[in-house]
Amino acid sequence: MKSNLAAFRPLWTGVLVVAALAVVGVAVRPVEAPAWRFVRSRQPALKLDSLQGALGQGVTVGLLGGFRAIVADFFWIKTNSVWEDNDLPATQTFIKLVTAIDPRPLYFWQNGARMIAYDMPNWRIIAEGGYNAVPAARQRKIDEEQSAVALKYLNDAFGYHPNSALLYVEIANVYLNRLKDTASAAEAYRLASLQPGAPFYAARIHAELLRKLGRTMDAYVWLKQLYPTLPKTVDPAKGVSEFTVESAMAPVVLSRIRELEGELNIPDSEAFKP
Amino acid sequence: MSIASSSSRTVPFSLGRLGIVAGNTFLEAVRQKLFNFLLLLAVALVASAQLFREFNFGSSELKFISDFGFGAMVFFGSTLTIAATAQLFFSEIENRTALTILAKPIWRTEFIFGKFLGVFAVVGVFCALTTVLLLALLYHRETALMTANPEAFENGRIIHYGDLVLMGVLQWLKFGVLAAITLLIASFSNTNLYTVVMGFFVLVICHLQYLARDAYGAVASLPLRLLVQALGYVFPNFQVFNLADQIGIGQGIGAEVFLRVAGYALIYIAVIGGLAVYSFRNREI
Repeated sequence: MKSNLAAFRPLWTGVLVVAALAVVGVAVRPVEAPAWRFVRSRQPALKLDSLQGALGQGVTVGLLGGFRAIVADFFWIKTNSVWEDNDLPATQTFIKLVTAIDPRPLYFWQNGARMIAYDMPNWRIIAEGGYNAVPAARQRKIDEEQSAVALKYLNDAFGYHPNSALLYVEIANVYLNRLKDTASAAEAYRLASLQPGAPFYAARIHAELLRKLGRTMDAYVWLKQLYPTLPKTVDPAKGVSEFTVESAMAPVVLSRIRELEGELNIPDSEAFKP
Repeated sequence: MSIASSSSRTVPFSLGRLGIVAGNTFLEAVRQKLFNFLLLLAVALVASAQLFREFNFGSSELKFISDFGFGAMVFFGSTLTIAATAQLFFSEIENRTALTILAKPIWRTEFIFGKFLGVFAVVGVFCALTTVLLLALLYHRETALMTANPEAFENGRIIHYGDLVLMGVLQWLKFGVLAAITLLIASFSNTNLYTVVMGFFVLVICHLQYLARDAYGAVASLPLRLLVQALGYVFPNFQVFNLADQIGIGQGIGAEVFLRVAGYALIYIAVIGGLAVYSFRNREI
């Protein structure tokens, strides 16, 4: 009987070890949970479903080893390699894989969206016989399909970069250059200009697109509101450098205001006074 | 009655003896080619981070160097911890020196924790060297960038160098938990190879358990959900140590978060070490 019990000792030891670890796991959860919430808030989680295809390729080791950024970089090289071969399915897969591995760099989202919206329509049209053979309606449909994919991809990026002006700019460019949708582009540029750290050109382009849409008065009002917010002189104390002043292009904005006043026949007495 | 259990009743627990075992383990480890080889590789990789920056597309250069450096530390540090712990433990068993040591008035607790502290010290040296090297590399590169592009550094340096040291300490503590786990496996395992393989499996599980918790936490099947939750409790969460993301982008690590993670590691080291002692006491040598 005693020898029978001794035979089960390794089993009991194992069970006891696992049980003790489970109890400790429960006990330390209050210590771990706040720190874990902090880590999760700063570090986007790996999207397991997007990575499943690559997990068998040694990616796991790299990711677990802390090489997340480097693994993403190497997959970006791979993305460019398949992009050079005009391989649409592979390029699209790798674009999504890169941002699934490391969604933090904006660069991946911007350039991935450009490949989807600008390059892939050309590949598809060429694959269907070329620009001369494919009817214009079909070309338009391909543009719309690829733009929809790119816009969805860019909208996904807001999950990681919620206030990114450059993402709005990218969306605006897709509307403007691929879909020729000036109204949607104008709205995206407006949203871009409202984000923190937005490039100054976003607000100027919004006004230009309003002009193009025939909404001259809206453009005039927008620029009048914009002008006082632009830095006009270098002020190191406020962090206004020469580059910032040059980028703001306040004189250009003022000259456009004057042009619009001419177009709108605004009397001198009501003209904008900077 | 075993020799060890009779001796443990006649002599009190001694930190001195524990220190002697730890010291010998440390000396044995640093004399090993494995330690020198992995240290050299890690140092070379960290130092070469500047050369690899040409491969960087997404993040800023300083962030890339920081990621690369910590990646090297984590990768080679994990390998060193598992391999050194298993090798140092089984060298005592296979060379029969464990019999000689445990025949003397020494507790198995002193033996196991002495082994642990020896490995922990070795990994500490590894972490200190790689952290100092990474610190120097980032400081050098940041200074060069500040000279070349002062506008980008109008608010001073971006890197929080104190946090870099804290990250090195947290990685060291994580390796401590890993060393304790490896000792626990070694305490019942019969071979070095089995211990190393199991050690790597547990490392992967500890890194990925949060994904399982996320993915299966909301499944409809109650038994499956309970199983995954139980696994989440049994294995420590190694992703909680992954605070290096804050380094290189001008964000710091809060003192409270650091203390919580450090406390988490120390609790696990103490408990898993205790379990290794318990398991080793039941082992026939």
